[in-house]
Amino acid sequence: MDTRHEFGDLTHTYLPIAVAVVVVVLLLVVGFALRYRARPGRPAPSSRRSEAPRLEIAYVLALTAVAAFLLTRTFPVEGKVDRVVAHPGLEVHAIAGKWRWRFDYPAQHRSQVGTETAPTTLVVPTGATVRFTLTSVDVIHAMWIPGERIKRDAFPGRIATFDVVFGSPGFSRYGGECSEFCGLGHTDMRFSIRVLAPAQFRAWAGSR
Amino acid sequence: MSVAAVPTMLRRPPRLLGIVAGTDHKSLGLRMFVTAFGFFLGAGLLALIMRLELAAPGMQFTSKQGYDELFTIHGSTMFYLFATPAALALGVYLVPLQIGASSLAGARWALGGWWLTILGGIVMWSGFFTARGAADVGWYAFDPLSDSPHTPGVGMDFWIFGVILSALGAILVAACLLATVVRKRAPGMTMLRIPVFTWSMVVTVLMVLTAFPALVVAMGLLYAQRSLGGVLKVPGGPLTYQHLFWFYGHPVVYVVFFPFLGAVAEAIAIFSGRRFFGYPALVVSLLAFAAGSMSVWGHHMFTTGAISNRYFALTSTGLLIPAGVEYFDCLATMWRGVIRLRTPMLFALGFLAMFVIGGVTGIWVASPPLDYHETDSYFVVAHFHYTLFGGSVMGMFCAIYLWFPKVTGALLREGLGRVHFWLTVLGLNLTFFPMFFLGQDGMPRRVADYPSSMGWEGLNTLSTVGSDVVALSVLVFLVNVAVSLTVRRPAGPDPWGGHTLEWATDSPPPPRNFRALPPVRSYAPLLDLAEETPA
Repeated sequence: MDTRHEFGDLTHTYLPIAVAVVVVVLLLVVGFALRYRARPGRPAPSSRRSEAPRLEIAYVLALTAVAAFLLTRTFPVEGKVDRVVAHPGLEVHAIAGKWRWRFDYPAQHRSQVGTETAPTTLVVPTGATVRFTLTSVDVIHAMWIPGERIKRDAFPGRIATFDVVFGSPGFSRYGGECSEFCGLGHTDMRFSIRVLAPAQFRAWAGSR
Repeated sequence: MSVAAVPTMLRRPPRLLGIVAGTDHKSLGLRMFVTAFGFFLGAGLLALIMRLELAAPGMQFTSKQGYDELFTIHGSTMFYLFATPAALALGVYLVPLQIGASSLAGARWALGGWWLTILGGIVMWSGFFTARGAADVGWYAFDPLSDSPHTPGVGMDFWIFGVILSALGAILVAACLLATVVRKRAPGMTMLRIPVFTWSMVVTVLMVLTAFPALVVAMGLLYAQRSLGGVLKVPGGPLTYQHLFWFYGHPVVYVVFFPFLGAVAEAIAIFSGRRFFGYPALVVSLLAFAAGSMSVWGHHMFTTGAISNRYFALTSTGLLIPAGVEYFDCLATMWRGVIRLRTPMLFALGFLAMFVIGGVTGIWVASPPLDYHETDSYFVVAHFHYTLFGGSVMGMFCAIYLWFPKVTGALLREGLGRVHFWLTVLGLNLTFFPMFFLGQDGMPRRVADYPSSMGWEGLNTLSTVGSDVVALSVLVFLVNVAVSLTVRRPAGPDPWGGHTLEWATDSPPPPRNFRALPPVRSYAPLLDLAEETPA
């Protein structure tokens, strides 16, 4: 699943509404404060009205409609992002442990492990559905790939399964991070990501 | 009341015994608030050190271990020792006055609650003096990281006991407040005539009484796991802990929000010269919020893959409905009012303008696919600081400027108040707005450092500068308090033209609060009187 694309699509719904709400509230707060500011000679409040039940009910219905609209946009995207396909293009076992990442490629009989100085590099092909099965060997970590707008918790004794489709080829130093605080080394628990064209990936996978 | 009518003993400076063990709700509320504010200053200081460390890549001022202790004690102090006790302290001082009561129900229990909270604070902070330092696992201390193999040392145990003590303290105080509202209302003061602030306290204490026990249980299990083991077993244990913690951990953000919303609502009504608009709708929305707060905890666990994300997305997004009603009522109260922009009103308007940013980003992270990216990043740090600083702390300063004259009998200086307000607005936006972009760009929370290659230095420096502006604003406030208490400008019983009963008595109120009560025919009894007798 192209999680980056799905995230972008959903923000196109949420962001304009969020900005509009903030702007309207700011305008009303500042506008009312200036418009109704007490000045010498200005009479007492021109309205003693303190309730408008019909207006309030209509407003509550409008708010409910907004909430319902947001959810009708969120649910399908959530369904797509959470769905795992029957036959992924590549399986990667991601194992988190204080404070390093390991990526095993069972079908390719390869394993990526970093060193003290060089972080682990995740190598993936473009365009293919990459199936991650994520777990932890000690405390809770979280695998975050900001570029793909996706994150999953790594619990000890549990396996999280999720699919990601990576876009254009390239190398992203520190393109992946642990985002669940996991102790002293949390700050430096990163990994790099190398996205290869399919042919190059096959060459890499068969290179040993 | 003339000063001579006050018994001589009460005019003497309070003696040590009175400070430690006095049960008058006004003195107790004030003492609770002052100690909570002390913790606010302490936790703020820790945040300043964190911001200094993050201003530039590389480790400059702290160690990674030290940094972990800083953010843990910062967050823990702000929630357990400052925000909750300060919110409840407002209630202890004001609720009996607003409902026309002479005292707090079960005042000695509330006094015990204050002692427990202070004790909890001392225990938690004394972790800094232990061999391995204070707790360093964040304010929610997830298991198994907080288990003894991963976090040995007595500082972590101190933290657990500190949290339990402060939670028990909050439960005691909340119970007294609820009993006060239920049992001590003045004649005519029906439940649908209690002031808006008191309603906000009612829903607050309902949340404390239902949610805080879950925290005590979670802490008890965590301590048992640390000392005995075999309690929070992998794989289910860590999830159970999260469920229990967040069942407390989400309602608590409303606990530390609603009393300040109530204060803001009072200020808006007073300084718009109008009866608060939509009282019944507000009461229903507050109750709906409190009920809803019990059903949204799972949105902290969207990325665990172990809960029903859609259910929690539904309940969390639904909270925009009562929140929208509260905004509507505040703005409708201002509509066609006669608005006086005194300092309490400035902070009330600042609250409305800043909290909305925290509110809409809250709806943002209530969407699971958006949260998959934002959670545990600086985006979330920005979001909740807009709610807790832009909302709660702004609202707290609104409450302070509003009721300081009532509590002390002296007015705060308007000029310094304005400087304080504008520095706060500037500082908080400089500090927290850049964090949205940092989080969006991939900066995780709770990191002591970041590689220079990430390009995050500029925004982080900006944020650090902002934190210094916030510190300056708080200094201006402290100067204002000192000046106003030294060279006093007498406030009189009702400096603002208040609507509720606390303004119908002396400032500060005498020992039993009232000599005579005006008739109570609505939630704004003093406004009723003013409207009946045109000037």
